[in-house]
Amino acid sequence: MQFSIQREVLLKPLQQVVGVVERRQTLPVLANLLVQASGERVSFTGTDLEVEMIASTPATGVHEGEVTIPARKLFDIVRALPDGAKIDVKLNGERVALNAGRSRFTLATLPSTEFPVIDEIELVERVTLPEEVLRDLMDRTSFAMANQDVRYYLNGMLLDLQEHTLRCVATDGHRLALKQTQLESSVAARRQIIIPRKGVNELVGLFETGEGSVEIEFGRNHLRVRRGDVVFTSKLIDGRFPDYEAVIPLGADKTATIDREVLRSALQRAAILSNEKYRGVKLELSPGKLRIVAHNPEQEEAVEEVECETSVSDLAVGFNVGYLLDALGALRGENVRLSLRDAQSSCLLQEEGNEDARHVIMPLRL
Amino acid sequence: MGTIAAMATERAIIHVDMDAFYASVEELDDPTLAGKPVIVGGLGGRGVVSTCNYEARKYGVRSAMPTSRAQRLCPQAVFIFPRHDRYAEISAQVFAVFGEFTDDIEGLSLDEAFLDVTGSLRLFASIEAIGRQIKLRIRERTGLNASVGMATNKLVAKLASELSKPDGFLRVRPEEVRATLDPLPVGRLWTVGKVAEENLHRIGILTIGELVRCDPARLQRALGRQVAGLQALARGEDERPVHREVAEQSISAENTFEVDIADLAMAEAWLLRMSEKVARRARDRQMKGRTVTVKLREPPFTTYTRQAQLPVAGYATQDIHQLARRLLHAWWTQQPRPRLRLLGVGLSGFGERAQNDLFQPAASAPQADRIQDRINEKFGAGSLVRAGVLKTRE
Repeated sequence: MQFSIQREVLLKPLQQVVGVVERRQTLPVLANLLVQASGERVSFTGTDLEVEMIASTPATGVHEGEVTIPARKLFDIVRALPDGAKIDVKLNGERVALNAGRSRFTLATLPSTEFPVIDEIELVERVTLPEEVLRDLMDRTSFAMANQDVRYYLNGMLLDLQEHTLRCVATDGHRLALKQTQLESSVAARRQIIIPRKGVNELVGLFETGEGSVEIEFGRNHLRVRRGDVVFTSKLIDGRFPDYEAVIPLGADKTATIDREVLRSALQRAAILSNEKYRGVKLELSPGKLRIVAHNPEQEEAVEEVECETSVSDLAVGFNVGYLLDALGALRGENVRLSLRDAQSSCLLQEEGNEDARHVIMPLRL
Repeated sequence: MGTIAAMATERAIIHVDMDAFYASVEELDDPTLAGKPVIVGGLGGRGVVSTCNYEARKYGVRSAMPTSRAQRLCPQAVFIFPRHDRYAEISAQVFAVFGEFTDDIEGLSLDEAFLDVTGSLRLFASIEAIGRQIKLRIRERTGLNASVGMATNKLVAKLASELSKPDGFLRVRPEEVRATLDPLPVGRLWTVGKVAEENLHRIGILTIGELVRCDPARLQRALGRQVAGLQALARGEDERPVHREVAEQSISAENTFEVDIADLAMAEAWLLRMSEKVARRARDRQMKGRTVTVKLREPPFTTYTRQAQLPVAGYATQDIHQLARRLLHAWWTQQPRPRLRLLGVGLSGFGERAQNDLFQPAASAPQADRIQDRINEKFGAGSLVRAGVLKTRE
């Protein structure tokens, strides 16, 4: 195997795949990237057995072949080489040589036959979306995913595909974030898949702002996303996501419409004096007014009053202020609508006159 | 800006340390031990001495020494396996005494604490009056001796209690600090460990006084670190505040095995036993936690920890055990040749108990746990255990 490539051209695919490689592996070969040269291109594959990322790029002087190279070292070397350097890569027996100007590196390899790759994914559905739309769906919900929860199916993101709609849903049990988009074509049957947390984070990191479109392939046990020169594949979490629609409050009839930025900055100020551990703030509604109160163990107090459109009186509910701020940060538009029922029930936050993004937050017992 | 008068206000810091605490509790509960050497510690081949009484110390027995060595040094000693629940009970009484004098209590362990009584000086004649009262009340209520050190900072207060124990009582006034500290071996100084001590000895510094007088540049070459702070400590200067008791961060139990465990069923039995213990203690304190941690040590000393979150904060034995078991299994199946020298279970994440969950109702202690707790309260810890635990007693 042999090829020549300019540093910047090589750096981009390496950046895209190196994040998948775990710092501590169960198998030695998982610390390596699979490098495959053929035709006029070179491709790089990183995997942790759950998430696989393949990025390819054109190269010159390609002699066909494949081998695996230590990922981190290769990336660090290429990154540290001077701008514009031309790099020659050549496999000599069990070693690979990297030459660039007056720098020479010899790296150990492992045979490509040891490298585990995901081949077929048993395609069941395919959807094409503008990249920006998919990025938005994931970016504005992923913060609510659980981490290390014993309910393993929450440690990831639900993609719920039905008829003309694709929804991304994430929840850690305390709050839930949902964002949906309309599809150009409709799907035959409802599909629900859960992408593991790491896969979601890698995927979100891959997206760039731009005009392009991405192709999502729903497999029986995998999800595959194709974007330009990159193919991302993730195993799915084998479990049933809870019935999230049942926890989106419908009977929450006590609503208030509030300027989003005003509410956000008031909460940020109140948060300073909330208990560091519980981060509790109390929301008190009275006609035309929302009062935000926070206390900490030192008996310090913050009170904020925000003008809002509401006829509710005499309702006080406690929330983790971090959850409220996360939700407000994921919403757009000038005004948000807050829907409540009582101090024990969840609240719903959404943009005024728009149901595409919904955030459900469970109260704190203050 | 503080005024000169305010800056000159000296703090009043007390260090209280119970004398040979575990051993003294044992003597208290069993009067036949009086006058005999008593050693409390792990009893197996890998056990170490937790505490020994002064009688045993005459034979050279020290805490943290392997029990087997203590047995050779003092074969006639009475060896006792520690009863932590009992020590915790007495410790609570001791800390209750502290609470009668100040809220600024920094507990270092069951039997040792710093107290900042600066604010209490308005109510009592002097720091000695407070120290005397603390000593007296501990004696009255628990029958045990405490050593009390008093000074204007933590460093000197602790040295004062150490210098005066057993049954100690010593106040070191600011003008006496140098005379008290200077003759002490340099290893007695806080932050001077074994390595630093050796390095200091190498350049001829044997006492704290010599450390004070040493040229900083020379000192820095010998220690290879910044020395201004160290020399300030040697002069008895210490600005560290007394940190108030922070809420408990975690409740845990662990066990080091006599013989390494290579059998998953046995590891599970131990895991259940420790889950029961942790859950019981969490219920005692009404502390619901969300994070369960399993600590695993492969021989000789490779330690792993694995943790996961409960859906809602809780303290039910079954919930904690189930999650701990899942973590143990995941680890076990990943190891080529799993063996355990130590296994521990911990519960933490107590802050989230007030948060409601979307999918699960708030957790409460199941009936079985409540009955078990009541029986164990009445007939002693360990009277009623889950059958799976019995395997660990074989």
